Amino acid sequence: MRPRFVVGKVLGALSTLAFVVVVNFFLFRVVNDDPVESMFRGRNLSIEQKDRLRQQFNLDGTRFEQFAAYVRELLSGNLGVSLQSRRPVTTEIGEAIWPTIALVGTATTLSMIIGISIGIRAGWRRRSRFDVGSTTFSMFTYSVPDFWLAMLVLGLFSVQLGVFPTGGLQDAGTTATGISLLLDQLHHMALPCLVLAIAYLGEYAIVMRSSMLDTVREDYLQLARAKGLRDVDVRRRHAVPNAVLPVVSLSALNFGFVLSGAIAVESIFSWPGLGQATLQAIRGPDFPMLQGLFLLFSAAVIVANLAVDLLYGVLDPRVGGR
Amino acid sequence: MAGRDRVAVGAVVSGLVVAAFATMGLGSSVAASVDDEVVTLTVGVIQDLDTPNVTAGFLVSSYEVWNLQYATLTDKAAADFATEPSLAESWVEGDGGLSYTYTLREGLEWSDGEPLTADDVAFTINTSRDQAWANHSSITANLDATVIDDRTVKITSSVPDPKLPIMDVYIVPEHVWGPVAEGDVTTYEALDGVGSGAFTLREWKSGQSWTMDANPSYFKGEPAIDVIVFRVFTNADAMVAALQQGEIDFAHSVPSSSFEGLGDEAGIESVFGQQGGFSELAMNGMAGGIGDGHPALVDIDVRHAIHRAIDKQALFDRVILGLGSPGVTLSVSPDPVWQPEIPVEEQFTYDPAAANQLLDEAGYVDTDGNGIREMPDGSQELVFRYAERSESDIAAPVRELITGFLEAVGIGTTVDVYDDGQLTEVVGSGEYDLFVWGWTPFVDPDPMLSYFTCDQVTFDAEVIGYNDANWCSEEYDALYAAQNQELDRERRIEIVHEMLRLFYAESTYIVLFEDADLQAYRTDRFTGWTRQPAETGPVLFSNTSPTYFLLQPIDGGGGDDGGLGTGALIAIIVGVLVLVGGGAVVVMRSRSNRDERD
Amino acid sequence: MAPDSPVIVSAAALVRSRRRAAFADFVRRFRRDRLAVTGLVVLVGFGLMALLAPWVVDQDGLSAVASLDNPTWAGPGGEFLMGTDHLGRSVAAQFVQGSRVSLFVGLMSTVLTIAIGSVVGIVAGFFGRWTDSVLMRLTDWFLVIPFLPLAIVLASVLGRGIWNIIFVIAITSWPSTARLVRSQVLTVKERLYVDRARALGATQVHVIRRHVLPNVAPLILASATLAVPISILTETTLAFLGLGDPTQASWGKTLEEAFQAGAISRGAWWYYLPAGLGIVAVVLAFTLFGRALEEILDPRLRDR
Repeated sequence: MRPRFVVGKVLGALSTLAFVVVVNFFLFRVVNDDPVESMFRGRNLSIEQKDRLRQQFNLDGTRFEQFAAYVRELLSGNLGVSLQSRRPVTTEIGEAIWPTIALVGTATTLSMIIGISIGIRAGWRRRSRFDVGSTTFSMFTYSVPDFWLAMLVLGLFSVQLGVFPTGGLQDAGTTATGISLLLDQLHHMALPCLVLAIAYLGEYAIVMRSSMLDTVREDYLQLARAKGLRDVDVRRRHAVPNAVLPVVSLSALNFGFVLSGAIAVESIFSWPGLGQATLQAIRGPDFPMLQGLFLLFSAAVIVANLAVDLLYGVLDPRVGGR
Repeated sequence: MAGRDRVAVGAVVSGLVVAAFATMGLGSSVAASVDDEVVTLTVGVIQDLDTPNVTAGFLVSSYEVWNLQYATLTDKAAADFATEPSLAESWVEGDGGLSYTYTLREGLEWSDGEPLTADDVAFTINTSRDQAWANHSSITANLDATVIDDRTVKITSSVPDPKLPIMDVYIVPEHVWGPVAEGDVTTYEALDGVGSGAFTLREWKSGQSWTMDANPSYFKGEPAIDVIVFRVFTNADAMVAALQQGEIDFAHSVPSSSFEGLGDEAGIESVFGQQGGFSELAMNGMAGGIGDGHPALVDIDVRHAIHRAIDKQALFDRVILGLGSPGVTLSVSPDPVWQPEIPVEEQFTYDPAAANQLLDEAGYVDTDGNGIREMPDGSQELVFRYAERSESDIAAPVRELITGFLEAVGIGTTVDVYDDGQLTEVVGSGEYDLFVWGWTPFVDPDPMLSYFTCDQVTFDAEVIGYNDANWCSEEYDALYAAQNQELDRERRIEIVHEMLRLFYAESTYIVLFEDADLQAYRTDRFTGWTRQPAETGPVLFSNTSPTYFLLQPIDGGGGDDGGLGTGALIAIIVGVLVLVGGGAVVVMRSRSNRDERD
Repeated sequence: MAPDSPVIVSAAALVRSRRRAAFADFVRRFRRDRLAVTGLVVLVGFGLMALLAPWVVDQDGLSAVASLDNPTWAGPGGEFLMGTDHLGRSVAAQFVQGSRVSLFVGLMSTVLTIAIGSVVGIVAGFFGRWTDSVLMRLTDWFLVIPFLPLAIVLASVLGRGIWNIIFVIAITSWPSTARLVRSQVLTVKERLYVDRARALGATQVHVIRRHVLPNVAPLILASATLAVPISILTETTLAFLGLGDPTQASWGKTLEEAFQAGAISRGAWWYYLPAGLGIVAVVLAFTLFGRALEEILDPRLRDR
């Protein structure tokens, strides 16, 4: 992989990021020009008090002055202060990010493992009963709205059977720590994780299957010439590694969307992750929070894309050498 | 093992691990709470705090925090709001009723150990007056406090004030609030947790929960409960399920749809708490002169027609399921003595025919046959903007019914949905026609009455007043001034009755129904649940929240049952998963063997 | 055997007969895929239901005021085939009526998505260099922004309404189409270089119309059919989060109302099951149909 390739990709990523910062900022100003008004509604503030608040939150001056201030703070790692909770945005996001990563990360991992293995089987034995059955199943789960599935699951396992909690990250007011706290949290995570895993696995299965079919066709004739290799070895050593590549890139790309992926499900299960934070921030609108969140989401996707590009550069010499 | 098998087995193992965690989680949640010696009361709510800052917040949840954290000079009895000593053990009238001298109890302390003295009282009253603190200034605006000695403070009013001896203001610690600069007071985080009430705020996880600890310096003694956790639910249904499963001990704002069923369940008691709260349909009276309200709404015939077009009984039956009472006059206090009786013949009862007649005779006819009436001069159609609150769970059914009723008498509507912040702005700017919202009044009728004075109309979108009916009446204002200084209770009641009759006759608001706080609690954890007022009021989130101090745990309870009792179910689930997992492995094994034979 | 006279066939006639043969071939392949046919049948069924709704549905069943005499939360059976909801309205009426909005929004937003995406993709791919760079940057931003939060923010700004939702979905979905179309255009362009060298003075528009479009069109069509499910699911999610038009029945709105009214804890499955199943059926049908279409139209995907 040539250095020029790497530099080019990295610069491209950075410029996209810069573009994102600019557009994000002005996008939210379009949504609501004066959040002080809506934030401190009905609190009988005098005009002087409101002006002071605007100064405090960098909401005074022209839009460009505000933007300059924003960029300055951004470069020093300060994402501003949430208008709703008056705490630093980095703190708010820091608290919300781990529940989302845990939930969506686990669900994605599970659905990847299961989906990919289904896809491999289905693609290898095209039109077998397993293939038809699993493909239909995959397409079915792909068509199900994730929040509807969440409603069904909540209704069955939580309300009717009472086996799992109705929502939240952990039992409120719990003073458990360490392992027992972790287990409590996992207990709460089980249902939303199940819902998301089912919702995601269809896509992986289908893509893996397609990819297997492509690979099989391409390499098969060549491999047939390979003397006496067992079928399973052909599959294991040649078909799967090649076929897995597009799926890996898909997962990497999806991983970028991991952070913003579960808004509806988080809402139903009262899971205090980034999805909830986004919904609450929109209610303000809490500019600094929204800017911070969108920046985070976009950065994640940009980084994931960059990683995939570089990965392809390594794995496929045609790409990296150009 | 073939590579694919490894993946398959990996998947199965992951599944089992997750299942194992899930079941262990069940176990751990029981273990965790039984370990604890700490007595915890868990309360489920739908509405989060807006801020714990007593000078800036205004949501019901926040009032609950202040009721618990800040004691007042006098208290109100749980049974009937009768005045009781609190921080002040006695008080003496002076200057013909214009002043009162309060003697504080001995040995009062703040939760951080600092002594609570007359300085704190004087500081609170004088500063809240000078800086116009939102939740204090309506009472302290005319007051001046002077410290006589450490335990004695004299409060003087510049005008006769029937609210004086009661002094319903939260006393805040001078050593915490004094150092806060005037410009920063309303934005002060207020997470210090220094108070004189039964509990103080320990932490607030915005959007999730807030926690309060028992105050060891509370002058009535230490509460039997150690910790209160208020847990915020984004969905009321989930909150109800949490109560049923024992995750929480008390649920506030139970949705009407689950309320009846809950009361029937063993181990759960439901509370229909009336506090004078109500919901109204407000119309833009355009007294502020800003904005663009529909001109028809200033016509009193149109307002009367709208009043008659709405079937309040239907709303009462369908939306709040009979849990409350259909509205007539404005409710200004949980104490019903302030509301006048209006004979049925004089009421605007549901009568769409009469409504149609009123509109026809006033000249609003449908000339083009599209079912919607027009202005008498034909300038525009009678189509009103209806603003719906997204943060209310009854808003959608209310809107469906009201817009349906209006359509039936030839009035069209367009619906916009706003959250409370946006709606406040929209109303403040005068750019609205109709909206539905609600209030919960205080015990003294004065604040609620003051909201409709000409003073409170918004003339400038920068400074929004409380008068969202945008209505101004000199007669009403004169009566308001009179009751505001009337020290004779009977006479005062008469004045208020007159005001409310005027308000009703003008259909300033159309009061749809008086709703109650629907609450429910588990009977197996705590006893001592007290209603304020007795027999009819809510148990928590009442006017002064006396219950928390009165609760006693039942033999060391206060823990969480989790999903106990489902041991059999757990075993079955785990067993099934193991079987399925094992079966899958076996099947795949045999398949791969078959492949190898190819 | 030699013909009596030379057979002169016009180019146009040749093209027509080739097209007819291709179409017949397409139908034949399609019919063989049973799942795809099922999908098509389901779609036609729902489409008919949506179109005939105004005549089939009893409008009173949708009005809360007209339903005041009906029992609330009634289970299916008797007078109400699918039961009633928390306001006594007929669930069946809402289901049928709701299909209109769900399908309409799904289709219209896809049309808009495809239109915007195709134009951007073709322009970017064809004109290349500067235009391409700028447009791709723009596309990148849209791709990189989390689409659901963006949709929510836009919906809150624009307010609730059918066309606003359509616009929001289109705005957040066009980038992937643009990307796809652009890469296909690039492929075609490579092949065309030889042709272009020979095309004496043919205008760019001519080349686009004659060569690029026909080669890109099948891909656009196939991706359109696969984009509809996404649009429908997005509309459903937005409606569920409370951003849909509050005065129009739609499947997403039904689910939102069911959730808010406590249908889950009441066990009123008849309220939230039909709408969800309807969504699954329509989305699945489009997916099956779309995949079959894609397989047939894209020669690279044959024999799957």
